[in-house]
Amino acid sequence: MGLLTILKKMKHKEREMRLLMLGLDNAGKTTILKKFNGEDVSTISPTLGFNIKTLEHRGFKLNIWDVGGQKSLRSYWRNYFESTDGLVWVVDSADRLRLDDCKRELSVLLLEERLAGATLLVFANKQDLPGALSKEAIQEAMGLDDIKTHHWCIMGCSAVTGENLLSGVDWLLDDIAARVFTAD
Amino acid sequence: MDLKELSVLGCGDNTVEMVEVDEENFALSNSSAADAAFDAVIGRIEDIIMEEEFQQLQQSFMDKHYMEFDDSDENKLSYTPIFNDYVDLLERHLEQQLMDRIPGFNMTAFTHLLMQHKEEVPGDISDMLLSFTDFMAFKEMFLDYRAEKEGKGPDLSQGLVVTSLSCTGCKHTGSTTGTS
Repeated sequence: MGLLTILKKMKHKEREMRLLMLGLDNAGKTTILKKFNGEDVSTISPTLGFNIKTLEHRGFKLNIWDVGGQKSLRSYWRNYFESTDGLVWVVDSADRLRLDDCKRELSVLLLEERLAGATLLVFANKQDLPGALSKEAIQEAMGLDDIKTHHWCIMGCSAVTGENLLSGVDWLLDDIAARVFTAD
Repeated sequence: MDLKELSVLGCGDNTVEMVEVDEENFALSNSSAADAAFDAVIGRIEDIIMEEEFQQLQQSFMDKHYMEFDDSDENKLSYTPIFNDYVDLLERHLEQQLMDRIPGFNMTAFTHLLMQHKEEVPGDISDMLLSFTDFMAFKEMFLDYRAEKEGKGPDLSQGLVVTSLSCTGCKHTGSTTGTS
């Protein structure tokens, strides 16, 4: 590791966090990001690369990274693992057919060494859709209770209405803050 | 004070000179040799990043890659390896230059010292170094460079005539050939 990288890690300010948002394509990652950032969410096209938003929340500086979720892009996710404090896994609660896929991709991530210290927030998104599974159903289908390696929490939310986005991020911040900033 | 103890940094010779240069060095009256050695390396780093050679390094890197960067909110996946190469390039240059200028300089020893003295790095230097590892600043730099290259920036040396002809001229030639 070179000088700049070390300096960056050192200066990683106390009240700065890096959140990585992943999930299958069409889960609503970019919509969540933009909604959270107060932007228009009426015309979001599939993400082929990645988006970054830096925003202030509760006195924390959040760097949120959202990487495209199409199958062909998932092998690139690894390029964004470094220094992640919180992993936001977004699930399309109405996409019952791909829940297995969704579970498998998440379980691969949880084995990643560079994500070992990250807190996991699962967003059961699209709760506004009539066919959406409840967060309890998602929790069970994805076997979240078996996760012992990471602090985790699941929240039902709607990126379109904004419901619960704030509560989810607040939980994530609290968990990271308690874990990271009291350890020093 | 025995400066030989500083051989890990190898900058005993430069100490006096650097202390003079650094006006913000409040540790002048009571600086231990290690502090002075640390300040000396920081001073060298400042020299290196202000030099023409460093800027040329950045510029030739941008020349190589700027066409890849588009002014759009979404980032291409290809930016990331370019960014990593950039950080790597600057890091290697810094390390090499420090080794050339400070006999016996050891980066591992220095970074160890850096951790203990992190509050003492002058804000402007640390901001500048940190900006090299900031992805958004990196992207912005490329977009500015590209805009300038393509004549949209404040650089007027490209020639206004050429720019205006290629913008208005080419659109009309195609559609008006029949009538003119």
